[in-house]
Formats: sequence, C-alpha cells, structure tokens
Amino acid sequence: MDHVVSVACPACGAAVHDSDRFCEGCGAALVAPAAPAEPSPEPSPQPSPEPSAADGAGAPCRSCGGVVAADGYCEQCGALAVSERDHWSERPAPHVGGVCDRGRRHARNEDAMALHADGALTALVVCDGVSSAPDSDLASLAAARAARDVLAAGAVPATVTEAARPAAWSALLVDAAAAADAAIRGAVGDRAGRAEPPSCTFVAAVVDGPLVVTGWLGDSRTYWLPDAGTPRQLSADDSGANELIARGVPRAQAESSPTAHAITRWLGPDAPDVVPQTTATRTQGPGWVLVCSDGLWNYCSEAADLDALVRDVEARVGSAPDAIAAELVTWANAQGGHDNITVALARPTGDSLQAEPTGSAANVEAAPPPASRPDLDPTDR
Amino acid sequence: MAEFRTEVFQNEFLSDGATDVHAIVTVTAAGAGPAGAAQGGVAEIVIIDTSGSMEGANLAAAKHAAQVAIDQIPDGTFFAVIGGSHVAQRVFPLPNWAVAMVPMDDRARSDAKQAISGIRSSGGTAMSTWLRLADIIFATVPQATQRHAVLLTDGKNESEARTELSRAVRDLTGHFQCDARGVGEHWEVDELREISTALLGTVDLIADPADIAEDFRRIVQTSMARGVASAELRVWAPQGAQVLFVRQVAPTVEDLTTRRTEVNALTGAYATGSWGDESRDYHVAVRVASKPVGSEQLAARVQVAVGGEVLTSGLVKARWTDDDALSARISPEVAHYTGQAELASVIQEGLAAKAAGDEATATVKLGRAVQLAAETGNEEATSRLRRVVEIDDEEKGTVRLKRNAAKLDEMALDTASTKTTRVRR
Repeated sequence: MDHVVSVACPACGAAVHDSDRFCEGCGAALVAPAAPAEPSPEPSPQPSPEPSAADGAGAPCRSCGGVVAADGYCEQCGALAVSERDHWSERPAPHVGGVCDRGRRHARNEDAMALHADGALTALVVCDGVSSAPDSDLASLAAARAARDVLAAGAVPATVTEAARPAAWSALLVDAAAAADAAIRGAVGDRAGRAEPPSCTFVAAVVDGPLVVTGWLGDSRTYWLPDAGTPRQLSADDSGANELIARGVPRAQAESSPTAHAITRWLGPDAPDVVPQTTATRTQGPGWVLVCSDGLWNYCSEAADLDALVRDVEARVGSAPDAIAAELVTWANAQGGHDNITVALARPTGDSLQAEPTGSAANVEAAPPPASRPDLDPTDR
Repeated sequence: MAEFRTEVFQNEFLSDGATDVHAIVTVTAAGAGPAGAAQGGVAEIVIIDTSGSMEGANLAAAKHAAQVAIDQIPDGTFFAVIGGSHVAQRVFPLPNWAVAMVPMDDRARSDAKQAISGIRSSGGTAMSTWLRLADIIFATVPQATQRHAVLLTDGKNESEARTELSRAVRDLTGHFQCDARGVGEHWEVDELREISTALLGTVDLIADPADIAEDFRRIVQTSMARGVASAELRVWAPQGAQVLFVRQVAPTVEDLTTRRTEVNALTGAYATGSWGDESRDYHVAVRVASKPVGSEQLAARVQVAVGGEVLTSGLVKARWTDDDALSARISPEVAHYTGQAELASVIQEGLAAKAAGDEATATVKLGRAVQLAAETGNEEATSRLRRVVEIDDEEKGTVRLKRNAAKLDEMALDTASTKTTRVRR
C-alpha cells in the first residue's frame, strides 16, 4: 500500500505520512493537529490572560497535545509549556477570533490583543510592544484592553445616521487610543520616567455592519480581504519604511531597510502625540477584516499575498477565525518567527450589507470586480 | 528517610542544526542513616579464596581479614562466610547447621572466627561457584533487602572457562552487590572488574597481604553506612530522541547504558545499588531532533527513584541559538568528565596492547593517557602512569614504555583506571 506524503507535522513542519502516529522528524504525536482544525460550535469564553500568568502547566502541550508536567515541560515531547501571556487565543463570537503568540526568537511576548463582539459592534485591537523599551509587554496589554473597553462601552448607537457613523467611530477610536495611552501610564508606574519607557503600537478596527473603521499609531495593520474583489491594506504604517515608500523606494526594499521598523508614532509616556490616523471603509460583500502585528506581515506584506495565504489556510482549516489565526501564527513561526505574532480576524455580518453607501467621508468599496477603486483617504485628525 | 538532590551542569545552548545534548548530573544523598535503618534486613557475606595457591602468608592474612570484617558487622546483620576453591563451601554457619545465614551476635561472632581459623587451603579456582553459592545463601533471607558481599582472591579463575564466570555474573546481576579484591600479582584485573562492575561494587589491588584486614574493615564499614538499599537512576528523553549514553563518571567511570530497564517507552532505569551519604556524577548524552533557532525544549529528565518513587529530578535543556558565543562554550564539567572517561579507556586499551605485545599501540594509548591525566588534573593517574612509562612530553603525550615495569604497577594502574577526580569548581 502506498503511503502518500500529504501531511505536515504540526510541531516541526516536516512531511509525514498520513498513517504515521508520530512525526519522524521531531517525535511529536500526529493524532491531533496542533491548531484547532474544527470550528468550535460555541464561541469560546473570552479568556483574560494576566501578564503575570506563570506557566502552562495543566493545559495540554501545544506541540503534541501531551500532558505538561509540573516542571513546565511536556511529558511526551519535552516542549516548553508556554505561559498564557506567551500564547493565547480569543474567540468572543463565532465570526471573531485571534491569536497572540511570542514567536520563536523573542524571549517575551510583547504583543497584545483584545477582541470584543456584541450585537452593536465587533472590535479588534492589537498593540505591539516596542522591543527596545523594556517591559513593553505591560504597556501593550494594558493599552489593548483599555482601548477595547472604550470601544465596547461607547459603541455608536443605532440612532446615528449612516452618514454620521464613520465620523462617530473615528472619534471613538481617538478616545480609545487616548484611554490606551492613559492605561499604559497606569500600568508601568515609575518605569514611565525611564529614558525608554514602555510603549507600543496601536491598531484597532471596528466593524459596524458593512462599515469598517480603523485607527492606528505605528506599524500594526488592518487589511480588508474580500471573498471576491481586490484585497487591500486599510491602515498606512507610521514607519520608516513608509517614509521611504513615500519617497519612491519600492515596498519590498523599503520594508527590508534598516529603518523599516523604526516607527514614527506610538503610544506611551514618551509618545509625541497619541491621536491615531483613522480611515473608514464601506465593504461590499463578505470577506475578512484582518488586524495584525508586524510579526505576521513581515513575511507577507502585500495585501494580495496575505489574501492568498488566508484563503489557502481557510481551505485547509475551515472558516473559524481563531483557527485561521492560529494557522497564520504557525505559518509565521515556520518562516522564522523572528518577532511576536498577533493576528485577529472578523467577518462583517452579512445582514447589514443592504445598507446604502452615503456621501460621507468613508471610502466606498466598489462591487467586484472593480473597474477602479477610490484611493484610500485616511481621515487624518 | 534519605534525601536526594540533583544538580545539572551543561551548556544548554545549541547551534542551529545541532542535535546532541550533554550534561553532567550530580546526585547527592543525605540523611541515609546506617544500613537497615529504612527497611528490612541487611545481609553480608565474606568470600575468601581457599585454593592451594593461598597457602602461607596470603591465607593467614585473608583469615585475619575475614575476622576483622566479622568485627565490623553490627549485631542483627545476617551474615555468612564462604571459602572458595574449584568448589565453594560454606565456612560459617557451619555446613551441618540448618540455617545458611544467622543474625550477628557475640556468640555467632566468636563461632564464626573459630570456623575461619579452621580453614585449610587446597584445590583450584572457580569463582562462578563462589558467587552462585552466595546467591543461594542470600536467597534464604528474603527479608534482607540490602545484600552485600566482599570477595578476595589471589589467583586466576583457572578451574573453569571464562564464560562460566561471565554467565554467573549475568545471572546474579541485581541479586546482590559485590566488592572484589585481588591480593598479590597473580590474579586477573579483568576478571574481578567484570564481577565488580556487574554487581555494582568496586575492584582494587592489595599489594601486601598485611593490608587486607584494613581494606576489609573499610569495605564492611562503607557497606554498613549505606542506609538506602537500592536506588535507580532514571533518564527520560522526549519522544523520538535517542539516549546516546548514560555513564557514571565519579567517583569511578562505569558505563550504565546497556543496563537500561524500561520504566515506560520514554524512561529508562539504571540500577545504582545502595547509597550512603555521598555524591556521584553522571554524564548523560541525548540526541534530539534539531529545532528552529529560538526554540527551547527539554532534552532529558534525570531522576533518582527509590522503591519506585521519584525523589528528585534534574532537567537537561536544549535551546537553539544563532549566537555562536553562547553555543560554542563547552561546559567545563562535561569537558572534564569526557576526558576522564577517555583516560580510563586508553589506560585499559594501552595495557591490553602491551600485554599482547603490541608496543606501538601501547605507546600511543598510554601517551594519550598521560596527556589526558595532565589535562584533567588527575595527579594520581599521572603518578601511576609514571611507574609504567617514561614521560618525555606530558603536554604532547610523548612516552616510552618502561622495559622493567613491575607487574604490580601495571595492575595498580589498570585497577585504578576508572577512578576519576572531581572537576575543580
């Protein structure tokens, strides 16, 4: 009987036979895939990982599904159990989910993520701690949660007209960034006085029916990946790379330049200003809103490439957003995992798609296939 | 109850693509108490060679030594004395007694000494029969979980095939522990080392019969100070990993790799015998699948278990890095004991080559031994080597074989070859 090499080991990525019980390469058990392949029928309860969360003892091993011993390593494959802060997954609603991961090369996970979903609003917040500033993991987690809470509490009411909604959401994103900045000061205490105080990037996307409004400071990104039509990046990095691109340097070259990751705006005690750029987009047809840190887009920057990757992943693991995010994190780790990796995805709910585009400041996405598309016009504030 | 603890010495950083993880694990026991403190009974058997060659000073010294040993055995300890030639005989309890071992008391002590005085020498040497009789005698006291024998001979195992001895040693492994001693220069180091290695004891040379008594006294004292009857070293390695070797490296070099018995698919147990308050070092080498730079994983758990219960666990880790400054560093402990283990084997190989008339190989091997002894600071080995070779250049390992090296000096070098020095910390 032929064995067909058709499976990759979830732990090490080596090709394995589909009949194997263990990976020949690393010994990881192959009975259960590392990433949750099946969409969970119920939305999982929203965890609240604490930055101080000690270790993953008790939870199954992420590499092989084995039991993690009291010494913090798997009893089966020896993998180091990851702390909740180093890796967690959220799925506040069936259509919203994300994964935040330490990656491979950094000792700490300085990324953070906070997601929210209820009838009025879906919100995705990602903050990426500045790795040159110690303790930025504290800053990013405090910031992401504070921003999410502001968005959840201040959702633009249904009584506000379609025309006024983009501006109202944009204003709320500005408030959220301000609250995130205040939360950092609260979380870092005396560290605020350091030469390089804890700080982080900020990106938040709110999904209000077909309307997607995003705001950012730094180089964490929001993408819109329609099921049909042209994918695009909604945010525009506040980064050295973007300054180079603005000066005409090709994107790939700019993003690999030494100053590519030098962000020009951020949140934290030494931030020059904390008012995010915002942009509103009226989507047409179903698709994914994807918010991520540079730990992902470093390996897949162009919207078209990212879209192809997401579609490929979706074909393999299904459409559960946390499962897609987990697979994207695994993929980024397989590319080297040089930075912390955070990915959050949401699908705008289809029932609002009949809403009429208005003549607001929002961009209107052309119906696919688009002959042309209005240029992004970030509503700078 | 004895307490065990482990300390791990290693460089956990591996370069990209590296797979082999080495660590020295120091196991220390404290609060062991005297033998028999924690469990059932203790049994001790003294085995002395009564073959014809022993006649004279050797037999007289051996009888005296056996009597000194009897004095060291505390009251209540089951004991027996065996006289061995081409057959084995129970000297005490007397052959016509109904019991094969008796608990020590004043009466038994004086009866045993009297029986020892009556030993006469005759016959050949077949050590397998001595060890098998000891096993039969130990088996009559199943309540005694801590069993130790001391064996003294002066000659070759000439009355039986070597395979008989090897088979007996294999059959009896795990039944009792045995220290082996050779007096004079007519015994075979290799034969006694086979016995002591398999039966978790020590081997040594006693050049002067007058020193036997003192040596027996120490052996029995050490045995009686071992409050932990039996401990096993356990080594866990991850799924897919390969345990390259498990080696005791201090106080002596003993390769334990082939002694593995399976605890579960990932964990092997290695018998280490009884323990007093002491510390022993183990060198564990594991081959794991290489992981991407930045990954960390456990390469081994090195544990000590007594009565099936794990008392301590040392963690051997692997972390892959692209920082050469981290991965290039060699743990001084690993380097030291790697050198000491090689020292033991080149001494044995060098002396074997010399005995076989292969002087070229002997010169190279013993030269390397001189070099290693100097590098690892094993001054005792250097001074023993000096009696067998002329050292021209210690650093380069240039030596000449001594034409008139004494047989006893070669045997002393051979028996002591596995003794290691501790790393200087």
